[in-house]
Amino acid sequence: MSQQAVLDELANAVQSFDSDKVMDSTKKALAAGIDPSVIIEQGLAKGLKIVGKKFEDGELFLMHLVAAAEPSQKAIKELLEPEFKKRKGERKSAGKVVLGTVAGDIHDIGKNIVGAMLIAAGFDVHDIGKDVPADEFLKKAKEIGAQIVCASALLSTSLPVQSEIVKAFKAANMRDKVKLVFGGAPCTAEWVKEIGGDGYAENAVEGVNVIKHLLGTK
Amino acid sequence: MTDRAVKGNRLSMLSKEDCTSMHLAALETLEKTGMNCPSKKITEVFEKGGADIEDGGKRIKIPQYLVEEALRKAPKTILFAGRNAKHDIILEDGRIHFGLGGTPTPYIRDLETGEFRRPGKKDMVECTRLGDGLPNIKFIMTLAGAFDVPYEVEYLHEYEALFKNTEKPILFSVPGGDASKRVLEMASTIVGSMDALRKRPIFGLYSETASPLSFTEANENMIHFAKARVPVAFGPMPMTGSTAPVTVAGCNLIGTSENLAAITLIQIVSPGAPVIYAGWATHMDPMTSRCAYGAPEFSLGTNVVNAAMAHYYGLPCYGFGGCSDSKFPDAQAGAEVMMNAVIAALSGINLIHDCGYLAGGSVGSMEMAVVADEIAGMVKRIVRGVEVSDETLAVDVIREVGPGGHFLSHKHTLKWVRDAFMPQLFDRTSEVTWVKAGKKQIYEVAREKAKRILKEHSPEPLPKDVQQKISDIVRRAEKDLVRTT
Repeated sequence: MSQQAVLDELANAVQSFDSDKVMDSTKKALAAGIDPSVIIEQGLAKGLKIVGKKFEDGELFLMHLVAAAEPSQKAIKELLEPEFKKRKGERKSAGKVVLGTVAGDIHDIGKNIVGAMLIAAGFDVHDIGKDVPADEFLKKAKEIGAQIVCASALLSTSLPVQSEIVKAFKAANMRDKVKLVFGGAPCTAEWVKEIGGDGYAENAVEGVNVIKHLLGTK
Repeated sequence: MTDRAVKGNRLSMLSKEDCTSMHLAALETLEKTGMNCPSKKITEVFEKGGADIEDGGKRIKIPQYLVEEALRKAPKTILFAGRNAKHDIILEDGRIHFGLGGTPTPYIRDLETGEFRRPGKKDMVECTRLGDGLPNIKFIMTLAGAFDVPYEVEYLHEYEALFKNTEKPILFSVPGGDASKRVLEMASTIVGSMDALRKRPIFGLYSETASPLSFTEANENMIHFAKARVPVAFGPMPMTGSTAPVTVAGCNLIGTSENLAAITLIQIVSPGAPVIYAGWATHMDPMTSRCAYGAPEFSLGTNVVNAAMAHYYGLPCYGFGGCSDSKFPDAQAGAEVMMNAVIAALSGINLIHDCGYLAGGSVGSMEMAVVADEIAGMVKRIVRGVEVSDETLAVDVIREVGPGGHFLSHKHTLKWVRDAFMPQLFDRTSEVTWVKAGKKQIYEVAREKAKRILKEHSPEPLPKDVQQKISDIVRRAEKDLVRTT
C-alpha cells in the first residue's frame, strides 16, 4: 500500500465516524513511516474538511461533525502527540485553544460542540472541562502557551465568572498575549464588550470564524 | 372563584403499554445508571432515604420501591393560589392553564423600537403587569430578566417584581438553598405565615437538572420548598441527540427518569409535598444546535409524552405552549405557537408555559404574549369541543323556523350565540375595512394592546407595609451577598 493510499484510507476512516477505524488507520500510517504532521494534514484534517464541507452544505448534521472530530482528536492525543514528543518536534496547528465551562456551571454540551468544531478546523484544543474557576483557565493557558481561551456559561448566575476570567488574565499581565472568547445562552455581544473580552460567538460555527478572525487567519 | 378550567386530555397517542414501558425503563435507569450529584445535601437525603450512593458519593442509584413510594405519596390535585383568590387555579386531571413566559430571557423585543435589547428590572415589572392583565393568562413567569441589578441578588429582585405586580399564581426559579429561604420569606410575608403559604401557595418553584441525569447544587432549592410544602415543578431539559438519545422516546426517558428522581427526593424530604410532573424531551436542531421550541418533536416530547406519563402517574403536569423559534411575531411564530398551544391543551397539560417566547426562548416579546393570549382563548374553545344534546341539536327550533326561514333573531340563537369564541385581537373584518383602517398587521395591533394594558391595568397593590418588608428582604440580601470588588 502506497503512503498516499494509507493517508486516503485514514481520511475515509474519519468520514466513517468509526473510532476504531481512525485509530487503526493512524497506526498504519505511523507504521508506514509517514511524518505525524503529514498524517494530520493529509489524513485526519483532510477527512475532517470533507465532513465540514458536507455539514456546511446541509448534507450532514452537527452530530456527524462531532462524531468525526472526537476520534480524530483521540488519534492526535494518543498516537501522534507522543510521536511529536519523541522527535522533539511540535504539532503544527491552526492555534492553541483552552476551552471550558465556567465555575458554578456544569452545562457543557455547547462547549463540547465548539471543541469539536475547532478540532475539525485544525486547532489544538485543550478542553479543561466544566465547573472551572477563572484561575484554572489562566493556569492552563500559561502551561500550553495558548493564543485563545474560550469560556462558556449557560446560567445568568455563572455568567459573571466570564468577567473574572478577564480580570485574572489582566492581573497576571497575560491580557495582551491571549484572546478571550465567550459564549453560552445568557452571554451576548454587549456583555462581552462590557467585561472587556475579545470575541463573542452565538454558536459554534460562528465561534470558529471569530477565533480565526482574532488570529488574523481569516 | 377558583378557575377549574376546561379539561383538555383528549389526545391519546401513547397507549397504556407505552407508558408502562417508559415507566419501567425509567425505574431501571434510576436503579442501574443513577443520577450524578455534586450536592452533599441532596446525596444525604437520598442516602438516608435508602438509595445506594456510589462513586465516592457522587452517584445516586435509586431503588425502584423508593420511586414507587414517592409516586404514591405525591398529591394528585394541587391548588395553585393567586394572591387574590379570584385567580386561584386547580392543577389536576388535564385542566389547562396558560402562563406568561418562562425563565429569564437574555433579550427582550423592545415594545417601542422592536429591537432586541438586554432586559432590566423595569421590563420584569412591565411583563408581570401585562400578564396580570391578559385574560387567558392564568399564571405568571417572565419575558425579561433583572439583568441590571447585581447578579448575586438577581433572583430576589425578580421575585420582588413578580410579587408586587401580579395577583395571579407565580411559577419561577430560584437557585440554591440560601436564596430559596429568602424568597420563601417574601411569600410568607405576603400571605401572613409559612403555614398560610402551605395552605395557599401563591407561587411555585421551577427547578432544572443538568441533563443527562445530573443534579446540580442549585437543585438544593427543592429541599427547602419540599419542607415548606410549596409546589415544585421540576423541569429537565434533555435535548435530542446531545444530552439525550436522538429519539423522542429515549430523550423522554431521560426527562422521565430525572423527574422521578426529583419527585423521590421531595417525597423523602416531606411526604405529600406538592410536585408538578414534567418529564420533558426537548429537541435540538441538528444544524444549529439550538433548542427548537417550534419543532413538532418538541411538542411531542414536552407535551404529548409528558402529559401521557403524568396521567399514568395521576399527577398534575407542566409543559410548553405559546413559544416559537421565529425572531419576529410573524407567520412562523403564529403557526408554531398555535401548534404547541393546541397540542399542549389537547394533551391535558395543566401549566402551559412560555407564552411570548421568541427565538427559542432567547427573546421575550410582549406582542407575542398578547397574540398567544388570543390563541389560548381559541385553543380553550377547541378543547371544550362540541356539545351534542337535544338543546344543541335544536330539532324543534329547526321545525319552527322551517325551510327557507332564518335563525338570526330566534331565542335559541340569542341564548347560544355567546358560546362561540370571540376574537379580542385577531381581525375578521373585510379587506375593505382593513385597508381603510391602515392595513395594520396583527403584531402592530398586539403592540397597541400591550401598551394599552400597561397604561390602564394595575393589579391591586400589596399593602404598603408588606411592600416595605419585601424591599427590606431584597436590601438585606444585597448587604449579605453582593461582593464589592
